[in-house]
Amino acid sequence: MPSLNGSDPGLDLVALRRRLAGTRGRDYWRSLEEAAGHPEFARLMSEEFPAAEGWSDASIDRRRLLQVMAACVALASVSGCGPEKTRKQLLPYIREPEGMVPAVPRFYATAATLGGFAEGVLVKHYQARPIKIEGNPDHPASLGATSHWSQALILSLYDPERSQMPLQRGVPASEQAFVSALFERRSELLRTHGRGLRILTGSVTSPTFAAQMAALLRTFPEARWHQWEAISREAVADGTTRAFGRPLDAVLHVDKADVLLAVGSDLLSWAPGHLRYARDFAAKRRATETGGRMSRVYAIEATPTLAGSVADHRLVLPPDDIMTALGSLAMAVKAAPEGFAPAPSPWLAAVARDLVAHRGAALVHVGPELPAEAHVLVHAINEALGARGHTLDMIEPVAVGAVNQLGSLGELARDMNAGAVDTLLILDVNPAFTAPADLEFAGALAKVPFAVHLGPYVDETASRCVWHLPATHDLEAWSDALAYDGTASIIQPQVRPLYLGRSAHEIVDLLQGSISPDGMALVQNTWRGRAPAGAPFDGFWRAALRRGVVPGTAAKPVDVPLRGDAAAQVKLPAGAPRETLTVLFRPDDGLWDGRFADNGYLQELPRWHTKLVWDNAALIAPRTAERLKLRGDDMVEIAQGGRTVQMPVWILPAQAENCLTLPLGFGRRVAGNVGHGTGFDLYPLRTSDTVWRAAGVSVKPTGRRYHLVSSQHEQTMAGRDMVISAPLDQFAHDPDFLHKMDRRDPEAPTRSIYPSYDYPRYAWAMAVNLNSCVGCGACVVACAAENNTPVVGKEEADRGRLMHWLRIDRYYSGEPDAPGTYFQPVPCMHCEDAPCEVVCPVQATMHDSDGLNVMVYNRCVGTRFCSNNCPYKVRRFNFFGFTRHDPRLPDAWNPDVTVRDRGVMEKCTYCIQRIREAEIAADREDRRVREGEVKTACQAACPTQAIVFGDMNDKQSAVAARKASPLDYQLLAELNTRPRTTYEAHLRNVNPELEEE
Amino acid sequence: MANGLGPGADLAVKVGLSAVALGLVCLGLWGWGGPWDDYSTQRNIVQPQPVPFSHRHHVSGLGLDCRYCHTAVEVSSNAGLPPVQTCMTCHSQIWTNATMLEPVRQAYATGKTLRWNAVNYLPDYVFFDHSIHVAKGVGCTTCHGPIGDMPLTWKSASLYMSWCLDCHANPAPHLRPHEAVFDPNWRRTPDTPSGEALLRAYHIHPETLTDCSVCHR
Repeated sequence: MPSLNGSDPGLDLVALRRRLAGTRGRDYWRSLEEAAGHPEFARLMSEEFPAAEGWSDASIDRRRLLQVMAACVALASVSGCGPEKTRKQLLPYIREPEGMVPAVPRFYATAATLGGFAEGVLVKHYQARPIKIEGNPDHPASLGATSHWSQALILSLYDPERSQMPLQRGVPASEQAFVSALFERRSELLRTHGRGLRILTGSVTSPTFAAQMAALLRTFPEARWHQWEAISREAVADGTTRAFGRPLDAVLHVDKADVLLAVGSDLLSWAPGHLRYARDFAAKRRATETGGRMSRVYAIEATPTLAGSVADHRLVLPPDDIMTALGSLAMAVKAAPEGFAPAPSPWLAAVARDLVAHRGAALVHVGPELPAEAHVLVHAINEALGARGHTLDMIEPVAVGAVNQLGSLGELARDMNAGAVDTLLILDVNPAFTAPADLEFAGALAKVPFAVHLGPYVDETASRCVWHLPATHDLEAWSDALAYDGTASIIQPQVRPLYLGRSAHEIVDLLQGSISPDGMALVQNTWRGRAPAGAPFDGFWRAALRRGVVPGTAAKPVDVPLRGDAAAQVKLPAGAPRETLTVLFRPDDGLWDGRFADNGYLQELPRWHTKLVWDNAALIAPRTAERLKLRGDDMVEIAQGGRTVQMPVWILPAQAENCLTLPLGFGRRVAGNVGHGTGFDLYPLRTSDTVWRAAGVSVKPTGRRYHLVSSQHEQTMAGRDMVISAPLDQFAHDPDFLHKMDRRDPEAPTRSIYPSYDYPRYAWAMAVNLNSCVGCGACVVACAAENNTPVVGKEEADRGRLMHWLRIDRYYSGEPDAPGTYFQPVPCMHCEDAPCEVVCPVQATMHDSDGLNVMVYNRCVGTRFCSNNCPYKVRRFNFFGFTRHDPRLPDAWNPDVTVRDRGVMEKCTYCIQRIREAEIAADREDRRVREGEVKTACQAACPTQAIVFGDMNDKQSAVAARKASPLDYQLLAELNTRPRTTYEAHLRNVNPELEEE
Repeated sequence: MANGLGPGADLAVKVGLSAVALGLVCLGLWGWGGPWDDYSTQRNIVQPQPVPFSHRHHVSGLGLDCRYCHTAVEVSSNAGLPPVQTCMTCHSQIWTNATMLEPVRQAYATGKTLRWNAVNYLPDYVFFDHSIHVAKGVGCTTCHGPIGDMPLTWKSASLYMSWCLDCHANPAPHLRPHEAVFDPNWRRTPDTPSGEALLRAYHIHPETLTDCSVCHR
């Protein structure tokens, strides 16, 4: 299906704005076209729902249909003939591992890292085979939830395109050859005290790695350790240093924040600890569970973030104005002297009053992409609001060896160019792709005679180094890492390296002269020194491994005074000319800095706001697009300081004017089949001076068009009350308001002609709280990983054939410049009166005694009648044998879930495999399934506990409580499908002072 | 004028038509009954095995409990195949030189395991669970036949879906008391509680047992 997003030349944004200006309240529009009531939209509607055009136009007659069906039956029965002759073999263990029970999963704790920071996970194993990743409830940064990145790890573990052998100048070589070459270098380096030896890593929190590096730098005193993360948190560290005199990290207590101001914040998206923050954040937003109380959230941002989209009030400002706004705010809360900044606007003044009124329960958070000055101001504001000790604590920095990464990388590049570097170890980073363009790192690499790259894939850096070594996957090696609050986790391998892999620890140990590096011994050595004295180390070690957390390692708050003049020293930017364009670089929602480019789950995860898959685009505000006469899908040339990139544009509501957001990570040039050639590489535009932001950019149309694919139009639900939103006040005055606005036609029959079911045992049901959902997409990837759903690629996604059983719909309301944004996860509704069940000619979709709407794959003949009759459009059809073409080993699939073949319909099953497992376990003990024993994959992954699942027959269950909420509503209730999945209406805690904004 | 047909033409047509009719009937009968014969179901056919293991000898002769080897049957969907080590617990002491057991000793010594041919197995889209069946009083021999009397192992039920459903629709006649589940020679006696009584005692709800989702996910 063609992508829309204003791609039609006739789309009149002015008319759209005029139309939307006149509407208020619940006028939800899903895309600009839908709101515009544009003919293109009508055409798409008819493509999506041909039935709506009327059956009379159908060209196929009944006789022909019966003929085709008869042929289908005949062919199906032919293929079903004959006994199965393939003999299946059973291979017993020689010695069964202790405690191993076949077909019963076991869980092992470990941690996944992103930018060095740990997120505790549990890995589910079937007979020693990692199958699925769950959050670790004992880990402070997870509390049982996972990010979509962690969920996708399991796919990359089994990726056959991972690097499998060492390469010397691109030619396969043995590891022994590398080791002897390294030892030769080493003896040379020992003579020169390590002159010319450089090691480049990403951000590191691992105590073991830190200790190893310290020892290495003692052996080679003239060596240098450089660090580089493309998505750096340097502004955070820099701002803290300027505010407190030394680097510190902030640990937030979002659970105590009654008023929160998020300024370009990554609080809910990728800040270290974001899962924990999202959990605490959401708990304060569920008014029905907190006695009608709700935190109030404000956001100021230039490009939409998750925190901004769920905020009660969002102010969209260009980056310079954000700095000024922060200055004004600092002045208004008396964190900066009078006259420091212009007087606050009424909006800011109201926010300032609200923050001050909640002294001790107020919090301001600012994202790492904003400059250090913003962080200094925010520290001052938080201090003035009495946040410290209440809504935030300062701790000693968690990352080790923190350096000025940009400066450090620049110095490395300079030295490389000067020929001062003869041995360079690049450990699990890809600087040839991600380094700022002005450093020309890739070119400099060629001048290093002994450059070694350790990485999971043969990437841009690997192909330019003399040596490439395959790195172990995160699930294959020993290590350790710290969480956002300093809590340590031991990372234990879940499986032996599938390919010849080495960890960074082992490479550093080789360089130290060890002949056979042993990752476990290295990590154990670190912790031997840190284990509590007196107790046997073995007990400590095993307990730490089992829990996934080393107890008592959370950092203690430090009481460092804020510099009194910190805020006053900040220089606010002079007002920039309005009409110049600014570019903002941001990590991609899925690919991050590009490291996940080879992961199909993440390529195909619809981006939070744009719902784009397999591509990035320059995100541009509707007004700016109008001014520049750009439409969606127009290829433009973006130029800054003599550097140019070409890419398509995508019109994004809630984007600041004259401001383009460029998501990094795409356009990988050396990658596997999945990552290669998707999207556009933006690093060539990103220099040391413009890491996050480049001003004075020129954008000119090239006249060419591109085809972006978004999942947004995949299933349209035109003009209906999908998301219901109301002000908190309305709920407070009349908790039952929702039921009074029953959308059913009073004349319409409410009873089905089919007999109703009763559910004597269980009645499984789901409730989704729209006040909690932040749209992060962890559930979508968790669902794919649990249920063996295939990745289909851009072309098929374009035809509307994404296979996600669970999608997150995104709706807007109000002005396109600063709309309200709503996220709505949509799994199968498991209707009591399911429209799909009654149209299946072969009874392949059935109602079961627990009330589940089940799919029987082996009965399905692929008529797709069910999908046509599903009003929620949650059914997915295997147009191809996607799973047959999956390059992974069969071992990678979840053995509890049938792997579907071509021609079969599929959809969300409420993770029936988990239900059955719990039911069988309970039945064995002759009891009922207890609350909490069944967790669907989406529910388990959800950081905000937006999804609750359980037995409705159990009146004490959480799901029954949610269903009893006065805010509980059904999607498309007027259709009388009586869905088992229901939603809790969205509430906004509106500041009365700003209501008329 | 000769019409080109000889005197036997009439007969030939009759015989021909009868043959076709008979052929169709045979085809129909084969189509109807064919899937149920032992060739199609592989019932009562001994599969070749690397070691001629005798359940009769080990179970009826020596009195080994089923769970001595199939350890997971009460806790897992999979009953469990004994590791080679289990064989060697005894066979490192007795019959240590038997030629028949050479593959077992080889496997134990070399680490290259035995390759048994599966006797009973289900398609991948069927999710059978041993543990719940034995917990609810379905004996081993109910599905596996007179396993205690099998000198070599064969499949004794078709394992067709209709065979599963016969019991799922009406489980009572197939139930036995808990203590008899692993008894290969168990017979119903006048003292045995009735199937209906057991059904109630086990809290089995036959009306839910024929849901597709009980076995297919």
